[in-house]
Amino acid sequence: MTTTAPADAPARPRIPWGRVAAVLGVIVLAIVLAYVQSGSGIVVSQAVITGILVGGVYGLVAMGLTLIFGVLDIVNFAHGSFLALALFATYWLVASTGMHPYVALGVCTVLMFALGALVQRGVLAGAMGRPLENQLLITLGLAMVVENALLLFFGADPRSVTLPGDRGVPILGAVADLSRILAFAGAILLAGLLFLLLQRTRLGTAIRAVAAHHVGAELVGIDTRRIHMVTFAIGTACAGAAGALVAPLVTIEPTTGAQFNIIAFIVVVLGGMGNVAGALASGLVIGLAEQVGGLLLPGQSPLLSVFIVFVLVLFLRPQGLFGRSG
Amino acid sequence: MRKTWIAALACALSFGLAACGGSAPSGATDDAPAGGVSPEGTIKIGSLHPLSGAAAADGQQMDNGAKLAVETINAAGGIAALGGAKLELLSADTQGKPEVGQSEAQRLVQEGAVGLVGTYQSAVTANVSSVAERNKVPLVIDVSTADSILEQGYKYTFRVQPSSSVLGAQAAKYLSEVSTAANTPAKTVAILHEQGPFGSGIRDSFTAQAQELGMTVGPVIAYDAASVPDLTTQMTQVKAADVDVLVVTGYYRDGVLAAQAVQTVQPGVDAVFGVANGAFDLPQFPAEVGQAGEGFFDANYHADMTKPAMQELASRYEQQYGDAIRTGAVLSYDAVQVIAQALEKAGAADPTAVRDAIASGEVDTLLASGGPIAFDDTGENRNAIPILMQVQGGAVRQVHPDSFAEAAPLYPGQPAPAAR
Amino acid sequence: MTAAPTMTDEPAPPAALPRQPWNRHLTVVAVLAVLLVPLPLVLPGAQEAVVVRVLIFAILAIGWNVMSGFGGMFSFGHAAYFGLGAYTTAWLLVEHDVSPWIGMVAGMAVAAGFATVIGFLALRYRLRGAYFALATFAFAEMLRLWATNSDFVNRAEGYHVPLLPENSWWYLQFEPGSPNYFWIALGLTVAALVVSILFLRSRAGQFTLAARDDEDAAASVGIPVMRYKLVTMALAGAISSVAGAFYVQYYLFVDPDLAFGSSQSIQAILPAVIGGVGTVWGPVIGAAVLGPLSDVTATVLRNPPPFLEFLQGRGGLDVILYGVLLIVIILLLPKGIYGALRDRWSRR
Repeated sequence: MTTTAPADAPARPRIPWGRVAAVLGVIVLAIVLAYVQSGSGIVVSQAVITGILVGGVYGLVAMGLTLIFGVLDIVNFAHGSFLALALFATYWLVASTGMHPYVALGVCTVLMFALGALVQRGVLAGAMGRPLENQLLITLGLAMVVENALLLFFGADPRSVTLPGDRGVPILGAVADLSRILAFAGAILLAGLLFLLLQRTRLGTAIRAVAAHHVGAELVGIDTRRIHMVTFAIGTACAGAAGALVAPLVTIEPTTGAQFNIIAFIVVVLGGMGNVAGALASGLVIGLAEQVGGLLLPGQSPLLSVFIVFVLVLFLRPQGLFGRSG
Repeated sequence: MRKTWIAALACALSFGLAACGGSAPSGATDDAPAGGVSPEGTIKIGSLHPLSGAAAADGQQMDNGAKLAVETINAAGGIAALGGAKLELLSADTQGKPEVGQSEAQRLVQEGAVGLVGTYQSAVTANVSSVAERNKVPLVIDVSTADSILEQGYKYTFRVQPSSSVLGAQAAKYLSEVSTAANTPAKTVAILHEQGPFGSGIRDSFTAQAQELGMTVGPVIAYDAASVPDLTTQMTQVKAADVDVLVVTGYYRDGVLAAQAVQTVQPGVDAVFGVANGAFDLPQFPAEVGQAGEGFFDANYHADMTKPAMQELASRYEQQYGDAIRTGAVLSYDAVQVIAQALEKAGAADPTAVRDAIASGEVDTLLASGGPIAFDDTGENRNAIPILMQVQGGAVRQVHPDSFAEAAPLYPGQPAPAAR
Repeated sequence: MTAAPTMTDEPAPPAALPRQPWNRHLTVVAVLAVLLVPLPLVLPGAQEAVVVRVLIFAILAIGWNVMSGFGGMFSFGHAAYFGLGAYTTAWLLVEHDVSPWIGMVAGMAVAAGFATVIGFLALRYRLRGAYFALATFAFAEMLRLWATNSDFVNRAEGYHVPLLPENSWWYLQFEPGSPNYFWIALGLTVAALVVSILFLRSRAGQFTLAARDDEDAAASVGIPVMRYKLVTMALAGAISSVAGAFYVQYYLFVDPDLAFGSSQSIQAILPAVIGGVGTVWGPVIGAAVLGPLSDVTATVLRNPPPFLEFLQGRGGLDVILYGVLLIVIILLLPKGIYGALRDRWSRR
């Protein structure tokens, strides 16, 4: 394998305003075109609102992934199955104890943090520094185990969690479910917390140091093995939080998490690997591409526009929309 | 040191297993006759369903349905024409993958199955039907809508369930009948469908029949069932088009999303009308979406709950598996019955004789249907029809045609405004 | 060999290449092929289906290994080439009644062309590692989505290969369980293996290895890195497409998910990694181990030994066992089975 692109530091306080403006410009253009194409203002505004909210969910799921990607250099295919695990944990807590889903969020996050630490120490630690494909297949094996264990214990019947007091909220002629708006708020909150953790704490500094330069970090006395474990645990805990926030929006099945995997990877790459704020921003871009693109290319799968956006960005800026230029 | 050992072991293990028969029990060798009564005196029927993977919920239900059929037949004394020989069900997991389906079907045939039932996914069924055809062992399809499977001219493939052309055309008729009877005839219809062969097949047949009945169809909106995260944008398109009826065709997860989007967006239609929808007529659907699904119609093949035998089977299923029976399981039950009665009629446990008996026989069914199961030249069940169901008071009720109705249809069936 | 460009104005390959036992590899291929020929005569039919499946995925993995093992470009979208091979063959056969043998060659050309285009774009924009992998993945997904919604290839319905009343070599169709299927698959696998060995031995192959190990150094001695990487990708695409073309003839059906779905991309990677990435024999050994593995786990759980009785008939357990074995093998044998064995031998 050739040398990979240098990993970005997990997050940077400086915001690339020029690029943000360019991205916004493209989005506005797409929205105008969608309006011309569909001829209905209400449809377009619904597409934009839904795109932003769905994009928030994508960003939410991708945050933990991008952290793991940036610091450990692992393409973690098990992330979706961890999300499914968190969904089932939320379901189980809500169904058996009558807990509010957002209370279950706390429990889930702690549980998934512990699980992440365990998995990293027990399984992945032995594969650090190995080629990309080895790690990818190990996480793939993990995903198989988790998904099918859920199938064994919970059976294949779909489950659901309802948020007490959920209802449609009108916004600019469009409507959105309260649970989606809250999940979106949760995504922003989580991104903020992660940002603070990475920028303002000693642990965060150590994580960023390992991401930026593995050997250098070791030389200045950082215990990289511990950082790897903690980072993976934090990333998995993010999947836990995402699971609890997303639970009211999805049908809960063992394979529910896997359907987010692909989109989440795209979001990670677009946002710049390891860039938490970038993940949230590119989640929004992808959400909008899917919804608005669906209007622009009627008769084609909405996913097609997502991949077109992805490939274009990859060629124009391989380090991601919001990554540091190489 | 240790690694060499492991590597050598892994090699030896796999080569050994590949060579000496990893996937067949020791009894099955290649000189065993294909089909027939085994030395233990049982007759084998193969059941191929996705017991793991994304469709595991339905696959497991269907496998259970096939098991119940075998238990029922054995308890009643087995196959009388063959001296009371007992049936044995060989269950296989296709994992929803065609390659696995193919090798598992080969294995079941090798182990002496006189007939196969399955398989739920159209891609897997397409593979298994070619295995059945080439081994001259009958395959009775319980669930798989795609029309193309039986357009291959296969002699050994039969389908109990109605094809997508029958489903779509009948649904359009039911819609017209029910809405006209309520003095609010449906004139404009929007279609929201998943983009796979299932959804697009239904779309085409429904559209053709609806236009013949004088309805205007449009907009037609497709989505990707595997990945769609939300349907509110699509629902807003429907709302903006101001139509009388919204037709929805898809699977379970997206059906739930559609119900949620209807509640959020309030598209203002007279009825949400599912056609072979994988969610709207399932017993757990009203519980999952609550008030949002109230009043939804679904025209689909369905177990006939007005038949006493069906009610008995439902309660047996509930007792044995702790779950409400779905129509898929009933179809598997019927498919096994088709093979069993063919054995009875042929008086020989020989796949070719069984095939001929299936082709010419008539078998009573627990499904809502136009008559007993009987196959035409292409292998389609010529009496298979959908019926119309509606969610009323939090339960799925059969509402149309009259002969199957448990309750009268409520039309317009617009769901109550969000009352949460 | 595909494109062997004129090399008059190019430097000679670096002098001190490690000596590779090419002839020994070729001899082993020949001996193994001969030994395997009688296999279908002793195997029951269901096992033959498993063995043919093993060979199909071995071909796919050999193709992946050429690109990612020898070429160092991690492909996560090999389904694209597999699917193009499958669809080209099926389309020509069903729509135009063209023999699958011709379809196979056409599929190789299409896949090689597509690989060159992807390669050109990805290398032109200097994508590497995970970025390269995800770009290849995105292309495979775009093909899937395009095929799903395109009337040109029958949309989501895909193609059924029509059944013939009798055996036909021209249409590559025989009665089920016919040993011909095995022999053809074996022949194709041997051909793919020989091509990959010859490629590695050729000048182009040696340049590719040099570029993989140190791109800057290779470029500085005048090796046109881009050109050789494209040749490698085209060759890999052509080999992988053969797997797809034969798949259609054996399973008689193809649709967009089967052809271009991500599970085929993973199927391409698994055998190579388990067997040993960048080694000649890795993909074949990996396929031979993995192919039967899921059948073995399913069988064990279907007829469990007495102490495992409680596991019987629970859906999903066999997949768990498969996943665990996968993790264990990769953790214990990071260089793959062949890699581990080779290390041991060379230490002696």
